[in-house]
Amino acid sequence: MNTALLVRRPLGCLKASLRQTRQQNRVFPNRHMATATATASKRGPIPSGVSIDDHNFYRIIDPKTKKTRTAFAVYTPPETTSHSSTTTTTKKRSLTLPKLISPPADPLPALHAQQIKRMDPTGARTALFAKTRTAARVGDILMVTHRRGGEPFAGVLLSIRRAGIDTAILLRNHLAKVGVEMWYKIYNKNVAGIEIVKRAKKRARRARLTYMRKPKHDMGSVSEVVLAWRKMRRVVATSKAASKAKVDAKAKKAGKAAGAKKAK
Amino acid sequence: MIQLKSMLNCIDNSGAAMVECVMVVGQKKHASIGDRIVVVVQKQRGAAAEGMSAASTAVKVKRGDIRHAVVVRTRQMVSRRDGSVVRFDDNACVLINKAGDPVGTRVNGIVGQELRKKKWSKILSMAPMQA
Repeated sequence: MNTALLVRRPLGCLKASLRQTRQQNRVFPNRHMATATATASKRGPIPSGVSIDDHNFYRIIDPKTKKTRTAFAVYTPPETTSHSSTTTTTKKRSLTLPKLISPPADPLPALHAQQIKRMDPTGARTALFAKTRTAARVGDILMVTHRRGGEPFAGVLLSIRRAGIDTAILLRNHLAKVGVEMWYKIYNKNVAGIEIVKRAKKRARRARLTYMRKPKHDMGSVSEVVLAWRKMRRVVATSKAASKAKVDAKAKKAGKAAGAKKAK
Repeated sequence: MIQLKSMLNCIDNSGAAMVECVMVVGQKKHASIGDRIVVVVQKQRGAAAEGMSAASTAVKVKRGDIRHAVVVRTRQMVSRRDGSVVRFDDNACVLINKAGDPVGTRVNGIVGQELRKKKWSKILSMAPMQA
């Protein structure tokens, strides 16, 4: 069977031997003959049947078969490695481990900051729901547009659930005379845009306006407000575009005139 | 969270106004949007039902009838895969026959988008809006 294998894969044995050498490399890093002999004499009493090979690498040899029965390495903890410079013997015996850096006391805020930076590189969403005067506040009317298309959802902002990357907003509206509430994650990539349609007249004296679910305080549909806002925005956009077009045309004319003069 | 004895609005023109859930079909949990339930018609829609013309309110079901239905809105929050959550102000359903075709010819009112995932495309196409 072996011969058959060799015929099929003539370099198969080479691979196995290479793997063996690699394993040895891992077990005995930077092993030298000189150090092996030097350290062996300085060691204290060795338990019977245990032979010390290199540094703190122990191997137990089976007395009958004279083969390695088991082997293990003893690593000193990082604190002792750093303090072991006082005694030369311990220094020699200890395997030099890479010095461990203790993790930060509270890694979660750092993680959240990193994730937010990735999902919101410009910082626009963070600014929109920060605790500042210019930011959106509870009671405002917001509109959320989706990346996948579909109708944008507008509604009164009832509450902001601040939880790092999981920060979400609750919008409430009436669609076809039925109250609908939607939670949106503000750092979601599927949420293409969040816009403030109308600011609340007065600052709400509650953090969460759950009372707006009651018929007495219910705002009803905000579709008219959104429609008016859209109309106004379109007018502004067209007027801006028109003025820009005029300026462009003027610049073009001027450029043409200059070109004509040069030609003359 | 529709379970035994839950009262739902019926938002099609089959003639039922209020129905009571008597069974959730195919699962031991409560029903959510897009799940099939068995209902008893508790209240019939009158002749002067709001938002429906007299021709379309042909009474196809009567009080006491046992019918199948699909839940289209729930008060209980339904979370979606992208992390958004939807919640309606009422529980509503649309009556269907045993084959899964709607009993009524019209749906008036918003329905949840989960119907698409559960493949109730007929009800979705009949609905004026979806959220």
